[in-house]
Amino acid sequence: MLKLEAITGKYGFVTVHGVDYRVYFEESGEGIPLLCQHTAGGDGRQWRHLMNDEEVTSKYRVVAVDLPYHGKSLPPESVEWWKEEYKLTKSFLIDFLVEFGRALGLDRPVFIGCSMGGHLALDLALECPDKFRAVIGFESAEFTPGLDLIWFNHPRISGEFKFANLFESTAPSSPEKYRREVGWVYSQSAPPVFRGDLYYYSVEHNVTGQLHRIDTSRIAVYLLCGEYDFASTPEMCRQAASQIKGAKYIEMKGLGHFPVVENYELCKAYLTPILEEITKIR
Amino acid sequence: MTVVFLDSSKIDRLRNAMNHDAEFKLAARYMSEDILLGADESRCIVKVRDGLVTEIKPDPPSEDHWSFSIKATAESWDKLLQSSPPPFYTGLNAGMLRGNLQIMGNMEVAFAYLWAMNRMLDIMRQLQN
Repeated sequence: MLKLEAITGKYGFVTVHGVDYRVYFEESGEGIPLLCQHTAGGDGRQWRHLMNDEEVTSKYRVVAVDLPYHGKSLPPESVEWWKEEYKLTKSFLIDFLVEFGRALGLDRPVFIGCSMGGHLALDLALECPDKFRAVIGFESAEFTPGLDLIWFNHPRISGEFKFANLFESTAPSSPEKYRREVGWVYSQSAPPVFRGDLYYYSVEHNVTGQLHRIDTSRIAVYLLCGEYDFASTPEMCRQAASQIKGAKYIEMKGLGHFPVVENYELCKAYLTPILEEITKIR
Repeated sequence: MTVVFLDSSKIDRLRNAMNHDAEFKLAARYMSEDILLGADESRCIVKVRDGLVTEIKPDPPSEDHWSFSIKATAESWDKLLQSSPPPFYTGLNAGMLRGNLQIMGNMEVAFAYLWAMNRMLDIMRQLQN
């Protein structure tokens, strides 16, 4: 008898900015919708531990989609993508997530995202607070300039650079098998994807001076940052949270830039009280 | 404590450890480069040929060339080489991004072999502690 996980995967169709996308998503559990956003250059596999956690899936319907061009979501068939540089824009990312959630019938989901997804948590809270009941941002910051580097998509530098680079973004105390898994997923993205995503992460996402506009009576905001994160540091995340009245900030000791992947058990200790609190939000 | 790559009593052990390390051998395959390592004003050159460390040369003369250099203060190297390094010292990219070390020279080669260089750091950590 084949041992099965609770996670199921499906393909669906989403139309954004006039382009049809066939996208892959996974889900697990029943209850409050929890929409997960993977990191730049990553894919929905990063949420596998959360999606296999019965303490979460007994209360939440956890959904993780691979953005177009990521994981098992191919580039769109109607676009000659090989003739243009791949760049993830803020407007596409927001509109895609909102449209995907709407098409899937998710009622004011809770959004949870890491790194690029952590930045997106802030953009969603600013741009469309009534479409989500709460956002949970891992490794969020107002602005992380200077990381849109040519080396992340260079003909003479292989995916091993990404493998090594993201491995060292994890905490040394995290289990090595999961630290290596972070690097593995990164080494698998198509050559232009990580750098193209960094266009959003490091260029377009800039909410400096805007976060005071977030109304946490409309959308709850939780920001968490790993102690070892050198891309968006705990100080940067704390600084962002301090500008949002009612937001909660937690520094996660012993974790790096990929808390849900590199050491889910430790991450869970920080995340569980938040998910419990959100169940009380109407 | 003297940084391992500048400690004459440990240089041969370091070279041997790198050449017998399965991960370093994999990550450094095809690598034929000279790397300058510096701590404060002290320096050495690590010579790699076809993935094997052929020499760790202390106090290289100024006319020697190298592909890229990795330099930090002795204080930063102490943190980089702790068995469990503190935040912002987990690897070369972390250190560089947060200003705790400098990589200069042929950056294309340096980043092409970041995996090998980070593994070299791991091996140094084992010998340093």
